[in-house]
Amino acid sequence: NKKTNKQKTFYYPKPENSITIAVSSRVLFNMDKEQQIFEQQGMEEYIKYQVAHETEPFSPGPAFSFVKALEAVNTQLRDLYPESEELFDVVLITNNHAYVGLRLINTINHHQLFIERFCMTGGNSPIGYLTAYNTNLYLSSDPVKVREALEQGIAAATMFTQEKMTEVSETQLRVAFDGDAVLFSDESEQIYKAHGLDKFFEHEKAHENKPLDHGPLKGFLEVLGKLQKKFYAKGQRMDCPVRTYLVTARSAASSGARALKTLRSWGLEIDEALFLAGAPKGPILEKIRPHIFFDDQMFHVEGAAEMGTVACHVPYGIAQRVPERKGLKDKEVSSIK
Amino acid sequence: MVSTVTNTDVKQKDVDQAVVVAVTFAAVFEPETEDGSSIYRLGVALPLVQVLQRVNERLLEKNPAEHQLFDVILITTESWQQQQNSSIINSTRHHGLEVGRFCFSTEEDYIESLMQNNVQLFLTTDGNEALQATQQGVPSALLDTNWVSCPSEQLRVLFCEKAIFQLNMGSTEASKKSAQNFLAHLGQMKQKFGVFDSPLCFTLVTSHGGKDNCCCALKSLRSLGVSVDEAYCLGGAPRGPILSLLRPHFLLSDGFSLLEG
Repeated sequence: NKKTNKQKTFYYPKPENSITIAVSSRVLFNMDKEQQIFEQQGMEEYIKYQVAHETEPFSPGPAFSFVKALEAVNTQLRDLYPESEELFDVVLITNNHAYVGLRLINTINHHQLFIERFCMTGGNSPIGYLTAYNTNLYLSSDPVKVREALEQGIAAATMFTQEKMTEVSETQLRVAFDGDAVLFSDESEQIYKAHGLDKFFEHEKAHENKPLDHGPLKGFLEVLGKLQKKFYAKGQRMDCPVRTYLVTARSAASSGARALKTLRSWGLEIDEALFLAGAPKGPILEKIRPHIFFDDQMFHVEGAAEMGTVACHVPYGIAQRVPERKGLKDKEVSSIK
Repeated sequence: MVSTVTNTDVKQKDVDQAVVVAVTFAAVFEPETEDGSSIYRLGVALPLVQVLQRVNERLLEKNPAEHQLFDVILITTESWQQQQNSSIINSTRHHGLEVGRFCFSTEEDYIESLMQNNVQLFLTTDGNEALQATQQGVPSALLDTNWVSCPSEQLRVLFCEKAIFQLNMGSTEASKKSAQNFLAHLGQMKQKFGVFDSPLCFTLVTSHGGKDNCCCALKSLRSLGVSVDEAYCLGGAPRGPILSLLRPHFLLSDGFSLLEG
């Protein structure tokens, strides 16, 4: 499984050993213009256009800096563990027909991304491939596919084109997660939706010692934790190239404890837990500068994106069925009730 | 001695323009007849024979005067099969298979029969037969009895750079040329349909080598006029799972080594 490439030697990790991150073409690169051509002029024109511009690289999309950061972590892992296959393995997934895919490959080469696996499905769903090849995380612009993946037990999130993307670290991967309905199940979120923030805080305090059920991104946090331990084993705890954050509407005073105790009961650690007690997440994320932030509520995703954080939507749980409650205002609403 | 018999139930294809595909008796039929009769039961190649028929129907819908159609012939490759010629003809007609003619040959002369009939693709369930045919310059593909495909409206062909058996033995200049011709025919047939609702679906799967290797193969296929729908660059990951998902009717690789980068 070795490939020699001028200076370096690469291993293609076996899917069961590596951490497989599947990214769709439209989140890795910006294909807005081409998408418009497809929508307005149809498939044949779209293919023609793509083939005619085959050697023109696309510009980076919302997942680009995340993928670059994964590679930076890989480089550091290879230095410390040259024989190990426990690395990030990025797979490009596209709905496109194979010849349109050539432009994507040219773009990958242009940006010097280390992606050696790809999957051009010619219009079919990629879900079968994702489950067959041990996918740990799937990022796509198509919410339907993301939902399908979640149903198959694959961590997945929808990404959007963002006008503003603030600069992020090139050496340290930072991943931020919402708590309820992302790392944890939506059981408590259901309380919040039905009865408001205050009742939610009360309920959580009362059930502090009962671990929450797991949510769709728990597994991904788990694999990040495994990599972190590998760095700690080589003395890199203070300056670990992988850092994780919990950014939650829970309050430190009441409902926060249950979240932390749940994580502990799973044997998982999170580097920083930020309890906002219902305050907007945008400003704190702007300070953290994660490469990616997962939340189940579009309100928070949009709030984060407005301030330049790459935020993606996990379409899971009660929040998808009940209309949005918007942050601080809720506190007033719930007390009127 | 080889004998060729026309199936009068089926309209004969144009000798010059048809794409001749030979399928072995053992692939089309089970070795035993139905109880109390001399009719053979249908075997693993049924979905394939049906889908080739479907492609022809779609081509004729587009152009009733179309001559570039699949011409399916059934070939026997063992003496005992050759002796069952009447039963084989009856069984074929009983099941209404669109088989244009029969070649009754033995293990000694089936390859000669393939060449005499200008066969452009030989499909068999026997690895040795496929290997020998390829070595003699007839492009062949092994039908895998493990992934029998379901009835389908679409012929799914999979291109890969490594055969189920070793690639190094077999490819001659002649077989490479024949393979190229066959691919060009497939490409031309596909071009007659649009991107949606095509009765032909072509997929490329590369197991070894990186993306540049896969792209080379894509470009080679493109230069032959073959429009590839799906491509999977596995980068060392095992092929089994994706093959089970894709369920192609057959794989093309031996004699198709021109696809290697």
